[in-house]
Amino acid sequence: MNSWRIFVLGGWTSYRALFSWLSPWILVPTFIIEPVFQVLFFASVGKSAGVGTATFFLIGNAVQYASIPCLFAMSNTIGGERNSQTLSLLLVSPARRIPLFVGRAMPVILNGFGVTIVTLVLGALVLRVDLPRSSWLPLVVVVAVCAFSCTGLGLMTAGIAMRVRETAVLSNIVFGVLLIFCGVNVPLSALPGWMATTGGWLPLTHGIAAARELAGGATWGAVAGAVGTELLVGACYLVGGLVLLAFFEAESRRSATLELA
Amino acid sequence: MAVIEVAGLERSYKARTGIRRGSAKEVHAVRGISFEVESGELFGLLGPNGAGKTTTIKMLITLLLPTGGSARVLGHDVVREAREVRRRVGYVFGGDRGLYERLSALDNLRYFSELYGVPAREQKERIGELLELVGLTGRERERVEGYSRGMRQRLHIARGLLHRPDVLFLDEPSIGIDPVGARELRATVATLVQQGTTVLLTTHYMFEADELCDRIAVIADGSIVASGTPAELKRGVVDGRVVEVEVYGAVDTALAPLRAIPGVRSVAVEESGQAQLVVVRAEPDAEVTSAVLACLSGVRLGRVATREPTLEDAYVELLSAP
Amino acid sequence: MKQLRLLRVGWWLQLKIRGRSTFDGLLGILYPLFFATTIFFIYRQGSDPTALVGAAVGASVMGVWSSTATSASSVLQGERRQGTLELLVAAPSSFPLLIVPITMALATVGLYSLVATLLWGRFVFDIPVRVDQPLAFGAAVLVTVLAVSLMGFLLAVTAVRYRYSWALGTAFELPVWLVCGFLVPLSALPAWVRPISWLLPPTWGVSAIRAAALGGSPWGDVLLCAVTAAVYALIGTALSGRLIDSARARATLALS
Repeated sequence: MNSWRIFVLGGWTSYRALFSWLSPWILVPTFIIEPVFQVLFFASVGKSAGVGTATFFLIGNAVQYASIPCLFAMSNTIGGERNSQTLSLLLVSPARRIPLFVGRAMPVILNGFGVTIVTLVLGALVLRVDLPRSSWLPLVVVVAVCAFSCTGLGLMTAGIAMRVRETAVLSNIVFGVLLIFCGVNVPLSALPGWMATTGGWLPLTHGIAAARELAGGATWGAVAGAVGTELLVGACYLVGGLVLLAFFEAESRRSATLELA
Repeated sequence: MAVIEVAGLERSYKARTGIRRGSAKEVHAVRGISFEVESGELFGLLGPNGAGKTTTIKMLITLLLPTGGSARVLGHDVVREAREVRRRVGYVFGGDRGLYERLSALDNLRYFSELYGVPAREQKERIGELLELVGLTGRERERVEGYSRGMRQRLHIARGLLHRPDVLFLDEPSIGIDPVGARELRATVATLVQQGTTVLLTTHYMFEADELCDRIAVIADGSIVASGTPAELKRGVVDGRVVEVEVYGAVDTALAPLRAIPGVRSVAVEESGQAQLVVVRAEPDAEVTSAVLACLSGVRLGRVATREPTLEDAYVELLSAP
Repeated sequence: MKQLRLLRVGWWLQLKIRGRSTFDGLLGILYPLFFATTIFFIYRQGSDPTALVGAAVGASVMGVWSSTATSASSVLQGERRQGTLELLVAAPSSFPLLIVPITMALATVGLYSLVATLLWGRFVFDIPVRVDQPLAFGAAVLVTVLAVSLMGFLLAVTAVRYRYSWALGTAFELPVWLVCGFLVPLSALPAWVRPISWLLPPTWGVSAIRAAALGGSPWGDVLLCAVTAAVYALIGTALSGRLIDSARARATLALS
């Protein structure tokens, strides 16, 4: 099988196997109701505290929520494979690792992207936020980059999950960390120094900042730097994740720690 | 009055065959069966997997609503008087599930005794008594998640007996249990029956039904194909002969001619290591051996033997009858 | 009374079961803390210090609802997977009396989060959290926990028909925080939302808890909380009877 086929077919099949939902009963609550309410919740809190604008909370939470599919789908791919005991079959297959795992990442990125866009649209309607028309296309690009970088983090989480058994718990914790450190609801300037610095090393931080500037009327040129940083951060996590997976796979062959049985 | 009365009991399901709605077909798990169980009897429901045994038991313990026919347990209708039935029956099933893994055996029993209405002041004594009966005394404070399959089965039995049921329903209780454990289990069941409990047991192990049961009903594909005491069932085939031929090679083409030999009741092929075993069951007076060998002339043969039929043969014959 | 004993024994043993997974327990405390932390940072930027204290009290109750909502909808699925659902139905006890202890245990686990959030606010954010009327506070918390467990009972019973019931429960987590005025006063919500808030027990529960902590009379709200919760219990009981009958007809009590 050539790399491209592994990439596309493998990715799509595993995704469908995991989320065998043709059902709106999962799609609607998880990917529409929850993110929109997260936006509404924090927007209300902000308003009640007299802090921030509706746009601020809309963008922050809509982008951050992409982490739900990006983290869970990615670690579930690995965790799910282990649970259904297909991971060992996968790892002993002669397929090349990079297209294999990156192929599994593609539907996840698309999912994350979709969730953010839908949340932005619905949230803007409910909160009566007007995003300038000129910002729409650049925003779409920024959201795509954020989905990519978050998926990179997801792959890294999946790598760690190969050793730690509780993958869902890990993903939940990372979700919480992103919520606090990435300037989602609190601008980095209002956070203690060490938290703001940490945030700079995480995905989403630069992307959210760029998106907010675009919403405020900035041009593409002004935010291109931040977007580039976001892309770079994501790529680093992606590579880190692949390295971790390769490392744990090699290690498990030596010491049977993948708990494949 | 019979303790269990089943009349024309039916249960069918709609099984989905595709993703879209509307592509459903009706599966008849139980097709109008009738039988009675007397007080103090050990009644066996014997049949292969998928025959409808578990479905029947579940209807009798009120977990499933029949789609036709009726059943009464201890005089109470299983549909209309479900709570009365539940008070006086116990349900024990095989397998790993059905217990709270993170709790100890003792806590599991405490919980279920509360659920099944064992009076508070009796609980401690009753639990101790049952732990003794099933041989788990001393291990009751360990968490169930560390229990072996045999221990879980024993705990299931203790659980089923907490409220001193008049009727005990055992669904394939010796599945996955080692022979020693299974023997102990059978001994426990025999003791219970001696003490007056009525037991309905489902199993696909013929020797188990033969050894334990006062009466057996053989169920296949949702219908009862025969019933009676083990002796009566065996009598149906004991006057007969079984010819077993070990063959190396394909015998599919020989099956029809074999069945056509006068005096042959049934022909079955079983795997036996590298070879296959052709088992021909015939009438008592029919001399079929040479005819059988003639049909198999093109195939390489191994051992040829003739023997008396067993309950297993009765069972196979009942199941293969059209 | 036999029923009370059944509730108590059931609650205690279910608490034992849920308390034994340390990782789950940790997440049950951590997750609401992530939200509480964010909320504290938001309020700290504002100009009103009393709002921050009110936020701390409101945020502490978030965990009680979270631990119940996210797990309650999959309670029956969990019992089915363990093979114990059939045993519960086959028992001669009333089915609601078997399920309510489970959701009560879930809500009780949320108390850890309540304490953790108050301590977190006090020691990490230096929020001057105080409890003016400890007895009333305790009563208000107890009634709220009970009310949340009864809502969880209704959720458990209604969600079981849906194959992806867990998704429904999680979807209710944030909406209740918002609509029941955990942090945002009801007056800040659109007028049409308020009747919905009034019908939800946590609205009165949180109001009572806040009054008992920061000054005011909680007893009216405690009563309303109990009354609305009782309605949920009645609806849940009625539905559970129909649910079990339907499951018996459609053979969905067991996995196979």
